[in-house]
Amino acid sequence: MTRRTFFRAAGAVGSLGLAGISGAQPAPRKGRLKQCATRGCFGKMPFEDLCREAARLGLKGIDLVGEKDWPTLKKYGLLSSMVGSAGHSLSDGINRKERHGQIEPPFRAMLEKAAAFGAPNIIVLSGNRRGLPDEEGAESCAAFLNRVKGLAEDKGITICLELLNSKVNHPDYQCDHTAWGVGVMKRVNSPRVKLLYDIYHMQIMEGDIIRTIRENIQYIGHFHTAGNPGRHEIDSSQELNYRPIAQAVLDAGFTGYFAHEYSPVKDPIKSMDEAIAICDV
Amino acid sequence: MNRRTFLAGAAVLGSAQAAPQSIPRKGRLKQGVARWCFNKWSLEELAKQSARLGLKGIDLIGPDEWPVVQKYGLVPSMVSGGGSIAEGLNRKENHDKIEKQMRENIQRAAAAGVPNVITFSGNRRGLSDQEGLENCVIGLDRVKAIAEDKGVTICLELLNSKVNHKDYQADRTGWGAEVCKRVNSPRVKLLYDIYHMQIMEGDIIRTIRENIRYIGHFHTGGNPGRHEIDATQELNYRPIAEAIVALNFTGYFSHEFTPVGDPARALEQAVEICDV
Repeated sequence: MTRRTFFRAAGAVGSLGLAGISGAQPAPRKGRLKQCATRGCFGKMPFEDLCREAARLGLKGIDLVGEKDWPTLKKYGLLSSMVGSAGHSLSDGINRKERHGQIEPPFRAMLEKAAAFGAPNIIVLSGNRRGLPDEEGAESCAAFLNRVKGLAEDKGITICLELLNSKVNHPDYQCDHTAWGVGVMKRVNSPRVKLLYDIYHMQIMEGDIIRTIRENIQYIGHFHTAGNPGRHEIDSSQELNYRPIAQAVLDAGFTGYFAHEYSPVKDPIKSMDEAIAICDV
Repeated sequence: MNRRTFLAGAAVLGSAQAAPQSIPRKGRLKQGVARWCFNKWSLEELAKQSARLGLKGIDLIGPDEWPVVQKYGLVPSMVSGGGSIAEGLNRKENHDKIEKQMRENIQRAAAAGVPNVITFSGNRRGLSDQEGLENCVIGLDRVKAIAEDKGVTICLELLNSKVNHKDYQADRTGWGAEVCKRVNSPRVKLLYDIYHMQIMEGDIIRTIRENIRYIGHFHTGGNPGRHEIDATQELNYRPIAEAIVALNFTGYFSHEFTPVGDPARALEQAVEICDV
């Protein structure tokens, strides 16, 4: 977002009666696919404004919001739809057994807090390979998830292991193919442990999006979107046709959340309105 | 285009039996269509429709059929070179036969103004990717000079081994690009099939950009299903076509899908989507 678009957007949301500046009230949504977004889709907008706009546009929640901002979500009727990782990070994740003891206490604490707040999902990350064979990494991830799945089942919250690309954005990240993630899910075998299937990342790594979603829907708990290449708007400027993908997700019987995660190059509010319309099947 | 096809084309344009007025296109991407996808039509009918829609070529037709499409000002844009999908260049024992076929087919293609001939890796049948790659390079090294002399491009086709062609070896762009890199001839390239590569690896636009020097020809198809390339399937073909044009690609971009709807409408829509 440039300074210019920021001020334009801020002006639009600041003038309450004039919601029309960024486009009048959004068209009524079918809402059969529950859509959310990450903060990054809104550029540098103040969080309060972001929440107001998100609710107005018909989003159900915001992903990856820090705990201190949860009250603001609540004020606007939004969910904390995917709680961020606790006790570990993208590069130092749950694929190392020696780290499990250290990760578990903060992860359990965050899971309980998230569940108490009514968040439906909490994220986990495999971590980078650093020479660890895929088979060993899968076993280790499954071991950690088996330690915490009982708590997730008790609290009614889903732990989502995120699939990311290791080709462009996250070199060496281990959970970079759907089949590998599914292998972990099969070992854990819990209705409260699933994959976060990121469509953008998986288009970079493996393609064949609709077939892969259909064949693995029982292991998928959450979706992320973005245009490829570039991770910008999901519109007709990039190679994926998001409407039939959203349709396939819905037709597969998915009842979770489908969250946008792109960095807009155009006006963030207009782009979000358009993204929601594209996926409102 | 050589003198012969030029004259053939000119004759058609001048004659009364020329195709009906063709729809004006930007034409920065030369589009074609694969014959087998429109088998409900006679070749004559396909050629007539193609000329009207502004297509430039018809892929995968035999020498006896070339004059039929050339009559409508169209180019046989991809024809047989040597080998088959299952039996290809990855086995040395196939090389003698493929070389013989290539010599005949390339000469005939050149004489008729046909720009490309197709070839295949063959199935793995237990052969390692490394060995298959080396064998393909050896086989292509034997025929590249003929192609260079005659000005015809040999295109090694990339196909998916996950859904349609189990065990086919040239199923990854990286593998195919390495073959081309080692053969190092302006007349040995890849046939990058967008449908097949979406099934195998995705990341279409980036892959095309990074490997354009190794790509001699494109095929399309909607995924999943290999039907229309429209809004019912997961690929957005217009930005893909735009990316190809922006790379100054001068070869052919041919539609290869089986329509579920009206074939004439499906083909017209495909041409419109990719007319960038």
